[in-house]
Amino acid sequence: MSAIEVDRLSHVYSGAEGGVPALQDISLSVEPGKFVVIVGPSGCGKTSLLMMLAGLRHQSSGTILCDGRPITAPDPSRVGVVFQEASLFPWLTSLDNTEFPLALRGTPRAERRRRAEEMLNLVGLKGFGARYPHELSGGMKQRVSIARGLVQDPPVLLMDEPFAALDEQTRMTMGHELLRIWSKTRKTVVFITHSLTEAVYLADEVLVMSPRPGRIIDRITIDLPRPRTYEMMATDTFGKLRERIWQQIRKPE
Amino acid sequence: MRLPSPATVRWGLLVLLLVLWEGLPQTGLVPELFLPSLSKTLVALWAQREEYFDALLVTLSEVGIAMLIACGAGILTGALVGGIVTLRKLMLPVFSSLYAVPIVILYPIFTAWFGIGSESKIAFAGIYGFFPVMLSTAAGIRTIDPQYILAARSMGATLPQQIARVIIPASIPTVLTGLRLGGALTIIGVVVSEMLTSSAGIGYLVSRYRTILDSAHVFAAILMILLLSILFDLLARAVERRTLVWQTAGRQSRPGAAGSSPAVPAPAPV
Ligand SMILES: Nc1ncnc2c1ncn2[C@@H]1O[C@H](COP(=O)(O)OP(=O)(O)OP(=O)(O)O)[C@@H](O)[C@H]1O
Ligand SMILES: [Mg+2]
Repeated sequence: MSAIEVDRLSHVYSGAEGGVPALQDISLSVEPGKFVVIVGPSGCGKTSLLMMLAGLRHQSSGTILCDGRPITAPDPSRVGVVFQEASLFPWLTSLDNTEFPLALRGTPRAERRRRAEEMLNLVGLKGFGARYPHELSGGMKQRVSIARGLVQDPPVLLMDEPFAALDEQTRMTMGHELLRIWSKTRKTVVFITHSLTEAVYLADEVLVMSPRPGRIIDRITIDLPRPRTYEMMATDTFGKLRERIWQQIRKPE
Repeated sequence: MRLPSPATVRWGLLVLLLVLWEGLPQTGLVPELFLPSLSKTLVALWAQREEYFDALLVTLSEVGIAMLIACGAGILTGALVGGIVTLRKLMLPVFSSLYAVPIVILYPIFTAWFGIGSESKIAFAGIYGFFPVMLSTAAGIRTIDPQYILAARSMGATLPQQIARVIIPASIPTVLTGLRLGGALTIIGVVVSEMLTSSAGIGYLVSRYRTILDSAHVFAAILMILLLSILFDLLARAVERRTLVWQTAGRQSRPGAAGSSPAVPAPAPV
């Protein structure tokens, strides 16, 4: 069974002149444990799609199955979300931020603590639990945000340009870190990015979307071996895969 | 030359002021009727300490109740007006304009309705303090980063959970600012209304001693009001500082602002 199964999903934002068609006839299926990256021009509906996968917005038509059951509302036990801005609550420490989803479900305090500390360790923030978000660097904030997304152990993790606000070096490190975390947890990841290098470096498969209304116009399997290394970026295969995605994105309609 | 620290300047100014207060009337540069010296004022205060103490109790109780009303009603209305779009569109312009009206002109009506006792002071000061509390609560709720709500929803927060765990903590900074301003206005409201028409309270002492030209006692009362306001402000700021560890610190460590971000123990993850 697929971890995510999207069937003929379309979306129209209501508005002036009959509305804005944002997504058109999207069908896709993601196998459990796969790392899928979505790329596409700005405004093509990537965030919209992710919001629907997360149950944060209702699509106009079509269905989304996660773990075989439809997604109609946010369900953190099935889907964790990491946003572009870490969107941590500034009034909570990293530890409290991480255990927030558990607190919402009324998990006992000791259990909550244990899980949250475990997650902070996993993302490389051992000993930073007492810090407030303003005391963390951008990369560290995103680490907490990932820990928070994973704390309920959902099979699926959705990430909307999580490293877009970081500087180039931090971004590379974070990508590498994410792969490490992913290989330990074996989550299904759907990752949105504008960086083609990041896409090829991270993905098992890259989905390319067309300009608005967003459709999936290409699926590119990235058959680079794992674990990925920085050296691979300099290889011919890497360059060719990158080039192929670029051709698809800039292709005139 | 190094500039003295702001704290030094502040204390220096205060000392200077007190010295002038004592010195100017003593030397006869300013007549005692206009400005009785500090020592004379303190003597007058001590001589009538029971009268002043009773008046202070009256004023304090009026201020206390008026603040409760201003804060309670202000936060409640502010939350409704800030949180519900239709109410906001209907009411916010009305409240904002009302805030600009000098409500003191309504005070005679209040005495007609509530008499010249404490009730009219409480009602007047309560309304006076209500507006800033209400307006800043509404602003606080309206300006919450929608990203917080989105994140909370993605983690499965129900509406009551969103209110209790996100909306309330996120709006506390603005609400507290409103409470400080509203509280200060409540004190002003009580004292002013006591000065206008009443038979008790510190404001009443000010106007009674003024009519009999007893400057020392007038200034003694003024001194008490000053101390009361300053104490309230210090208290309110202390509460704000304690509650908002994350906020004040966040301001300081923003890029370009004074003060650097806390040291990160090496090797730190990025
Ligand atoms: N709430 C909304 N109401 C109306 N239109 C919207 C809304 N949200 C997004 N849109 C429109 O839908 C389209 C897709 O937006 P979306 O944010 O999903 O794009 P995106 O691919 O994530 O873009 P970017 O790469 O810039 O993040 C855009 O044209 C946008 O203007
Ligand atoms: Mg987007």
